[in-house]
Amino acid sequence: MQKTDSRNEALSVRKTGQKESFLQTVREIYSYRQMIVAFVRRELRGRYKGSFLGFLWTFLNPLLQLCVYSIVFSTILKSGIEKYYLFLFVALIPWIFFSSSVLGGAASIIAQKDMVKKIYFPREVLPISTVTTNFVNMLLCFIVVFAVVILSGIKLNFLALLCLIPVWIVEYILALGMAFLTSAVTVYFRDMEHILGIVMMAWQYLTPVLYSYDIIPPQYRLIFDLNPMTPIISAYRDILYESKVPDLKSLISATVMGLVVLVIGWITFSKLKRRFAEEL
Amino acid sequence: MEVRNCDENEYSIEVEDVYKHYRIYKDKGSQLKEKLLFWSRNKYTENNVLKGISLKVKKGEAVGFVGHNGCGKSTLLKLLSRISYPDKGIITTRGRISGLIELGAGFHPDMTGRENIYTNASIYGLCKKEIDRRLDRIIEFSGLGEFIDAPVRTYSSGMYMRLGFSVAINVDADILLIDEILAVGDGEFQAKCLNALKEIKSRGTTIVIVSHSLNQIEEICERSYWIQNGEICMEGEPREVHKAYLEATVH
Ligand SMILES: Nc1ncnc2c1ncn2[C@@H]1O[C@H](COP(=O)(O)OP(=O)(O)OP(=O)(O)O)[C@@H](O)[C@H]1O
Ligand SMILES: [Mg+2]
Repeated sequence: MQKTDSRNEALSVRKTGQKESFLQTVREIYSYRQMIVAFVRRELRGRYKGSFLGFLWTFLNPLLQLCVYSIVFSTILKSGIEKYYLFLFVALIPWIFFSSSVLGGAASIIAQKDMVKKIYFPREVLPISTVTTNFVNMLLCFIVVFAVVILSGIKLNFLALLCLIPVWIVEYILALGMAFLTSAVTVYFRDMEHILGIVMMAWQYLTPVLYSYDIIPPQYRLIFDLNPMTPIISAYRDILYESKVPDLKSLISATVMGLVVLVIGWITFSKLKRRFAEEL
Repeated sequence: MEVRNCDENEYSIEVEDVYKHYRIYKDKGSQLKEKLLFWSRNKYTENNVLKGISLKVKKGEAVGFVGHNGCGKSTLLKLLSRISYPDKGIITTRGRISGLIELGAGFHPDMTGRENIYTNASIYGLCKKEIDRRLDRIIEFSGLGEFIDAPVRTYSSGMYMRLGFSVAINVDADILLIDEILAVGDGEFQAKCLNALKEIKSRGTTIVIVSHSLNQIEEICERSYWIQNGEICMEGEPREVHKAYLEATVH
């Protein structure tokens, strides 16, 4: 037999009853990377398939949202914040990534239930694909964000822009952790999907997306500081609206909280995944 | 199939005293209410499907499972492929497993056959390079010709199955698990599948087949297991096992 495929040497002997180690699982997910690529591509291309403007909608969507906000907030709801449309826009795009990753992640396993019941593959692939799809979508939206920022006359700070990369990564980690958690729990507890709709709405208001961190009364700041999305959204706003380097201390605390969520999500997922095929 | 080396790796599959039960919930809809109000687990009854199955399959061997509807054949296959896990007992498998349980998984109707080959093969754990290397072979085997570049939604169900089968069979797994899917396509394609299976087997792949068409098992396998009441009730030469099985069914 041709054994040219180098992978799998470590994976080849499988024993149920033995616990799968963390490293084994990671290696296996890596060997299924093409599945993640294929799912992300299928999802991104399929999203606007059949519509006249097709993939252009990826850019049109945030642009039109921006139009609505700038009209509403410059004529009806005057906020007193300078360039409020931009203030909102640079925070909203990352928030939409997070919120659609959590909600989409929650549905990701149930949506593929026929596959989960009939084919073996590392189950982690499904939430990873959903989050990655939304992440790529956000990066594409950032083309629009950059264009709008430049057109509105903000001088971007190069060093601050470099900080976008770690901020993206931290938000991805947090979103992935949440998606692991919600996708696994939703399989056993279907009401989760509906509960999450409300939770994410409340979460958005408990994060300085629509307003700035400064207007939060000091006695409530602790709640906001324990919310990992607070420093992440603030960092985006620092970089793109204030064009300054974000606060390092709050970025570190966001990283730590993101990693904690990822670990909790991963452990929950590992515990629950064994019975997915039966519960679906 | 003289792949007999005498080390412990002689067996591709070892199943030791495996038990599996399913829970059947009386009332799955009211989970939230019950869990919150009574803090109790859902009421369920247990259905013991497998009660102490042990078997060993050598590398390069082909075996079949027969038995009545609901006797647990698909359950056993799911345990072998790690879609689900046993309650008790140990299953050891050696090598890459490919399950031909669902054909055409992940097919997107709007994408072409060629694009879908990539999606589908990736679900079996192949990376891009490995798929590239197999692409011509898969297209050739499917016999779809120029339809390969048409969207899958324009395929007939037989053509859909052909494509799915071609991908699954060209994964080059060490262990191939097949659940009732040999009845796809027209007569010509079925014959082609049987030949392909024989060829794959001659290359040293271990094959496990679940089928109600006993002839297919007799043609490919050297051993057959008859499963009844969650246990292996007979094991041996396919023709003999099937004879006993059919006799028991009639009476
Ligand atoms: N997810 C599940 N939840 C509860 N019970 C299940 C589940 N899957 C299978 N069962 C039960 O387990 C038993 C065995 O099912 P299985 O699918 O293994 O049978 P089978 O031998 O493949 O039958 P067939 O010849 O019809 O394909 C059946 O009684 C079935 O009701
Ligand atoms: Mg079955």
